[in-house]
Amino acid sequence: MIAAAKLRREQLVRDVNEVMIMKQSRHTRRTFNIAAVAGVAALAGAGDFAVVQAQQKVVKVGVTLPLTGADADDASKIQHGFQIAIDEANAKGGVAGYKIEIVTYDSGTATAGQYDPAQAATNTKKLISDPQVVANLGPQMSGEGKAMTPILSEADLATITPSSTNPDITNPKMAGQFRPKGKPIYFRTVTTDAFQGPNMANFYSQTLKVKSVYVLDDAGAYGVGIADAFQKQAEKNGIKIVGRDQLNPKEADYTTILTKIKGLNPDALYYGGVAQAGVKLAKQAYDVIPKMPKGGGDGIQGGSFFTGVGWPAVEGWYSTNAGPHLTDDPAAAAFLKTFTEKYKQQPTDYAITAYDGALVVLDAIKRVAESGKEVNRTNVRDAMQTSNLKTLQGVISFDENGDIKDRTVSVFQYKRDNKVPADDYQHQQTYVGTAPQS
Amino acid sequence: MAQPQLQQPNAAPGIDQSGASPSFREWTQGRTGRRAFLFVILAFGLCFPFIFPNEGIIDAAANALAFAILALGLNIVVGFAGLLDLGYAAFFAIGAYAYGIFASHQVQPEWWGFWEPFQWLGFVQHIEEAGGPGTVHLTVSFWLMLPISAIIAALFGVLFGAPTLRLKGDYLAIVTLGFGEIVPIVARNTPYLTNGAMGLNGVSSPSLFGYDFGIKSTPFFYLGLALAALLVFVSIRLKDSRIGRAWLAIREDEIAAEAMGVNRVKLKLLAFATGAGFAGVTGTFYVAKLQTATPEMFTFPVSVMLLVMIVLGGIGSVAGVVLGALLLQLLQSWFLQDLTQWIHAFGNFTGIEFFQKLDLVQSIELIFGVILVLMMRFRRQGLIPERAAVSALSHAQQTAVPTRGAIQNALAPLRRRAIDPNKALLEIRGLKKSFGGIQAVRGIDLDVMPGSIVGIIGPNGSGKTTFFNLITGLTRPEGGKVLLAGEDVTGLPPHRIVERGIARTFQNLRLFANMSLMENALVGAHTRTSTGAIGAVLRTPHVRREEESSRARVLEVISIFGNRLMPRIQHLAKTLSYANRRRLEIARALVSEPVLLLLDEPTAGMNPTETLELTDQIRHLRDRGVTVLMIEHKLAVVNEIADKVIVLDYGEKIAEGTPREVHSNKEVLRAYLGRSTDEIAKAAAAS
Amino acid sequence: MSSWEILLQQVINGVSLGAMYSLLALGFTMVYGIIELINFAHFNVFMVGSFIALWVMHALGFFGQSDVLYGLPLVGVLLFVLIVTMLGTGLLGAVIERYGLRALRNVSGTAPMITTIGISYILYNLILLGVSAETINYANPMPPVRWEIGGVVLRLREVLLWAVSILLMLALHYFVRRTKMGKAMQATAQDQEAARMMGVDVDRVVLITFFLGSALAGAAGFIFGLYYNYTNFAIGYTAGLRAFTAAVLGGIGNLPGAMLGGVLIGLIESLGGQYLEVRWTDVIIFSILVLVLVFRPTGLLGRAAPTKS
Repeated sequence: MIAAAKLRREQLVRDVNEVMIMKQSRHTRRTFNIAAVAGVAALAGAGDFAVVQAQQKVVKVGVTLPLTGADADDASKIQHGFQIAIDEANAKGGVAGYKIEIVTYDSGTATAGQYDPAQAATNTKKLISDPQVVANLGPQMSGEGKAMTPILSEADLATITPSSTNPDITNPKMAGQFRPKGKPIYFRTVTTDAFQGPNMANFYSQTLKVKSVYVLDDAGAYGVGIADAFQKQAEKNGIKIVGRDQLNPKEADYTTILTKIKGLNPDALYYGGVAQAGVKLAKQAYDVIPKMPKGGGDGIQGGSFFTGVGWPAVEGWYSTNAGPHLTDDPAAAAFLKTFTEKYKQQPTDYAITAYDGALVVLDAIKRVAESGKEVNRTNVRDAMQTSNLKTLQGVISFDENGDIKDRTVSVFQYKRDNKVPADDYQHQQTYVGTAPQS
Repeated sequence: MAQPQLQQPNAAPGIDQSGASPSFREWTQGRTGRRAFLFVILAFGLCFPFIFPNEGIIDAAANALAFAILALGLNIVVGFAGLLDLGYAAFFAIGAYAYGIFASHQVQPEWWGFWEPFQWLGFVQHIEEAGGPGTVHLTVSFWLMLPISAIIAALFGVLFGAPTLRLKGDYLAIVTLGFGEIVPIVARNTPYLTNGAMGLNGVSSPSLFGYDFGIKSTPFFYLGLALAALLVFVSIRLKDSRIGRAWLAIREDEIAAEAMGVNRVKLKLLAFATGAGFAGVTGTFYVAKLQTATPEMFTFPVSVMLLVMIVLGGIGSVAGVVLGALLLQLLQSWFLQDLTQWIHAFGNFTGIEFFQKLDLVQSIELIFGVILVLMMRFRRQGLIPERAAVSALSHAQQTAVPTRGAIQNALAPLRRRAIDPNKALLEIRGLKKSFGGIQAVRGIDLDVMPGSIVGIIGPNGSGKTTFFNLITGLTRPEGGKVLLAGEDVTGLPPHRIVERGIARTFQNLRLFANMSLMENALVGAHTRTSTGAIGAVLRTPHVRREEESSRARVLEVISIFGNRLMPRIQHLAKTLSYANRRRLEIARALVSEPVLLLLDEPTAGMNPTETLELTDQIRHLRDRGVTVLMIEHKLAVVNEIADKVIVLDYGEKIAEGTPREVHSNKEVLRAYLGRSTDEIAKAAAAS
Repeated sequence: MSSWEILLQQVINGVSLGAMYSLLALGFTMVYGIIELINFAHFNVFMVGSFIALWVMHALGFFGQSDVLYGLPLVGVLLFVLIVTMLGTGLLGAVIERYGLRALRNVSGTAPMITTIGISYILYNLILLGVSAETINYANPMPPVRWEIGGVVLRLREVLLWAVSILLMLALHYFVRRTKMGKAMQATAQDQEAARMMGVDVDRVVLITFFLGSALAGAAGFIFGLYYNYTNFAIGYTAGLRAFTAAVLGGIGNLPGAMLGGVLIGLIESLGGQYLEVRWTDVIIFSILVLVLVFRPTGLLGRAAPTKS
């Protein structure tokens, strides 16, 4: 009996200890939670407070990019492009007396491994709740754009993107979905896939004289879209579509599909997609179908494709850019110099369209301030709509949907130039010309 | 005799109240304390948008609530039923795309007469087009889609689960991973339905009595709060019910659960389908809020993130998984960027480069991996350990001293069965089983008369436990017949055998270690009760009565063992002494109201006093109508109470008769001693 | 190319793919056979192996595919890197077992598998964050030798892959069947308790199993890099699922089964891609996984069904 009682007591002690530990940890956790929440609130408040203390007219511009994940490299180059423009303006004392402050939001999550539409939406909501934000720069990818635009439209906050090319977002037929309030808020300094894909199809048929083509995409939103657009135009041009298939970007081996393509023997290959699958495709294609002409969109324009593939496999690949060719332009030289000095890397063409986009926003703010109107979102948006600004890529103006009026698509080809270092991305691409418009 | 423990109705298990008023700590563990805590949380939730009027924060909170619901659903599958599902995001996707198909501009078939009744019902709109029949715009109401998506997802859960839930745990995990991969691929490759990789367009937003949610975060936040509260309620109700106990039993020990009457396959499917349903609801909510969905939103890392949430919060604990989900989701979408900036500032302040460069947003997956490893190693129960939801017994119930009369009552249900006392209760003919090349049981015949105790003895490896397994359905016989009261029960699955009235205990003890004594015994009542999942949630008076009567039955049975088990009724089975565990196994089997009780070495490991006590109790059971078939090694026990003994050797019955007859049987002696000894036989006969 | 040539080429492709999966499946199936644990981390050890090999190549002065070697120097370099890589990943595997998994060895339920998922994530992200998110061009001294018969092409690296896979499988087979440690491993696989009682140091056996399995994963990683001329942090993932299917198809725990399963999966991939569409490859392979597990869980060559419930 005594033993039983002793056992019971020991059990009791154990139970009580367990409960105490649970309570303690819960207590500690609760304290931490309260402290964390208080801390955040304090910091948020402090931020605003600091701004008020600054006593200078300040206007905020948002930057929303997927700085985490597969697109992070290219996104950071775009961010640098924005930054250079803003820094230049602030160095001159601001825009019409207003200092420009950047608020950056990362739309990428590690879980998604790339941009996350839900994160982009949350970030946009954070953005619009700050009344000092008058315009936004970004996004990079169309997938985030789709989640952002309804929220931007609601708040009348305009954004300008240097690289989002999915045509749906500015399509007037889908205005009810993407800009419920009606006014365009999604401006672009690049033309859309509605042109990039088809213009390349024109290039294939008119310049390369291709009669049959095999089309691949990389299962991504961008890749599928541009491949579809290319395919449709190619069919219209009388090019025979020998086949269409989809690569799995996570897979390592594409010899199966390449062998299949080799067997079908089309005149050329078109790849709609980004570097993740593109690099592997190019490397293996060099093995299986080295002589076949191959091309893609702006997804394989960037440095990551070039460095990943390397010579000799990258030789001969065509790529397009949804804008005029800029980096050889003397006006762009100054920008190039600033970029490479400050960031120790070479810019992409999208870094330039980013710079130009920022210029558009700055110009809009300036015009609003100089006209005596209040510098708020609505006015800035209206000013952006009526832009007519000389930038690195020429004169930028927008149509009634927010798309850039200049529909140029440039075509490039990777050609080994032995006079320049092998890894000099900028100078190993030859500008071939503009792709013919439909 | 030690006094049974006093307990107040609201006290936590195992804490001695002794009549003193509970301290604050203890009060919060109790029912009123927990209710007060819940009330505070709910109040905070309701006021949240006013405390933090920032749209972004409300949006993040609404997303966090969505993930909390997902975590609750996964908790049912992984936490309650113990099925590791690595592809849970597939059901999330199914819910999302179901709404995307039925309530967006995505699917636009051509208009024809077929659609008119649906238009009348308000499910579709006719979009007129000049010079054509026009198209159909599917506009099923969001509120209707919430339950419909749950049902669609649950159906897919059954579809995926049916062929695969029989698999062992590891394999099940991989197969679910496979499904989790297939669903986004199919979504990506059926652009007609889902717009593939480019994401849904034109998803309708919900409206409530004319108020359109649009893209405003606040109404979604409140909706999320309501859904979360509802599903927390459902989870808690399910857990503390016949279904929840069956799930926990499956998680603890599948085989034992089945042997106690739990239909494993059906209940696993139920867990899978219920979890899928939760995800389906969340999918619809999430996509209505985001107004788009891409296949990338539902990939493997999302499933793993949910797993991390429940591991961190506490597998099996409803409060724990909600906490884990809210913590991690808010961290990811709201805190992390700010936290990174603080760390950068700290790094700049101290000059430590590591902190200056550290980017938490990118490192979150690394942190997830570390959380998984550390939690599994050091705190498997999570932040808030799962506590089995147990209702305390009243003082009166606990201090009742068992009387002989009570034992009668305990076995009363058995009397309801009409058993012909002149015919054999159990007839076994030619039962056979071999494993690989070894014949474990070779053609055994046996008759067991009702109200008798038959002992089975034999050297190790003679096939005794296999014999039991064959009778109870754990192993399928290759030949032979088993008849219970004339009815053929050969080869039936274990839970059906229990329904028919055969219950068993295990040689190596198969209790549900992390369930309390009461809960272990209640599982025994599974076959005699019928509350399903819906009943568990609604808790109608009928259900409550059934629960009460089950508990009453358990108490009756437990009281057979007097105050050995009764005072410990709230204790976890793993904390019981060895002898008590054996008693609990027998009690658990008795709760299922068997006509035939199979005991596999019931006194193994007991000391002589305990052995005598149990022997006596078994005899009383027999006297009151329970037929017992008993494997025993202690020949003294067999001699004491067995009416008949059979001896097995190498899978064959080599002797049958009264204990005395069998003892002097030459074959038996040879089997035990390894050689025939006529002298020993004569000496044994003479004793 | 004629349709026969296409078929033959795709068969060659498929068998090469298969050899890669087999190599990966070998180590995995061996570990499962001994301790019945699905080790998710295996496939990221493979990925780490490819990086280790790359770093060794860099240390030796090889970058890209331009520095080509022939004959004995080539064999010497490759052998050296292979051995160093295998030692490296073997050590990694041993550490994982000793400090991550040993404490959980007798825990039933989902805990050990969840731990391996966590370890897998840790390895993946350590490389992603600590090394690079880029796809890295591999250092490969092999000459681009190829043999052409009509339209059908056979490359040196394919021959290398088959040779290494078969050699490693034979070596492993010999080790398990003929050596004392191998016998101890077999005994542990059949019945841990009994083996322990017979004097087998089970802890040591498990550790060595992990070492060997991970060494094989590392070898596979190096071969992968040489074969595809690239590596990145993500190569473990898809290859892993395919290799897992190969192991299950062949009979998990069965070494020749891993080879057979690998080749079959590779053939399904290449022939399915040729005659159907590449986009459905994953769906087809997963369907096979499900079907095998449901209808024939022992696989094609498997012995008794796994006993752990």
